[in-house]
Amino acid sequence: MRAEIFTLILGMAAVTYIPRAIPAVLTDKLRFRAKVEKYLKLIPFTAMAALVFPAIFSVDESRPYIGVIGGLAAVLLAWRKLPLAVTVLGSIGAVLTVYLISGAA
Amino acid sequence: MTRKQQYLCGIKSGVPVIFGFIPVGIAYGIMAEQAGLLAGETVAMSVFVFAGASQMMAVGMYGQGAGLASMILAALILNLRHLIMSTCVMNRMKPCGTGFKLLAAFGVTDESFALFTTEQESRATPWYFLGLITVTYTSWVTGSFLGAIAATLLPSILSASLGIALYAMFIGLMIPGVKQNLRLGLLVVLTAVVNSALSQVIPFSWALILSTLLCAGVGVFFVNLDEEEVEEG
Repeated sequence: MRAEIFTLILGMAAVTYIPRAIPAVLTDKLRFRAKVEKYLKLIPFTAMAALVFPAIFSVDESRPYIGVIGGLAAVLLAWRKLPLAVTVLGSIGAVLTVYLISGAA
Repeated sequence: MTRKQQYLCGIKSGVPVIFGFIPVGIAYGIMAEQAGLLAGETVAMSVFVFAGASQMMAVGMYGQGAGLASMILAALILNLRHLIMSTCVMNRMKPCGTGFKLLAAFGVTDESFALFTTEQESRATPWYFLGLITVTYTSWVTGSFLGAIAATLLPSILSASLGIALYAMFIGLMIPGVKQNLRLGLLVVLTAVVNSALSQVIPFSWALILSTLLCAGVGVFFVNLDEEEVEEG
């Protein structure tokens, strides 16, 4: 391995692990109030919403509709209470179908 | 449940992530190869860093000739969101020792966080989390390896379609909660709109952190979080 890449990996490993590890050391000493507890429970939903939107529209940079179709397929499948793996595979299948039909990609 | 059963339960819950991480790992491996990294370097980065978005950004920047400091700073900014996510994860690991938590911390990613914190409280145990991250970590390293050695073998139409996988997973994790709680659904929509607007004016990693924190704060005042409604999905 080249020295430059070694340094890069070392530096990235540090800046990635430190934010993950700080709460591991600190939360022991903290007892959250009910409001904070509720705040922490809402964060998964706001974080996931922010991870999905608007990024899903640029799954295919030149075709925003690809993200829309894959997303709608996922909503539909999850709404019918199908297992998560089925939702993921179904969404991939929907996108693949659109690509095959449109002859794109 | 015994520790072993909890661990196996976590492994089982991690299965959907395989469909997301292997393809994304392959995409990263291909990017790294194009940027000029050796296969061993590409895989080593996945082994020691384990952060998809940061790694992709880093190899992309490396390919454009960026300096070390700027790549590491970009990774730091991109990873600040894990400070929030890890807080939520560790909040469910209260009884564990610090050593255990420090090990678990390495596995906190968008995906393991999302799966773990939306799981019923009775199932989301520390050993469940270890099982979960065993799967996510293995998939990520395997995907990177495959991408590094076989960049050109995958049909482009398939690799393009796999890009939707992680988003489909996040949607699949949100829907059960949202379906039973209209106000939680409104909060998700609000966050989507706020983040889309913010992303236009500030870098996307900051937009993500800001909209996550701000909207959850707004949610505290208008979402009724009945335990059963959200947790049982």
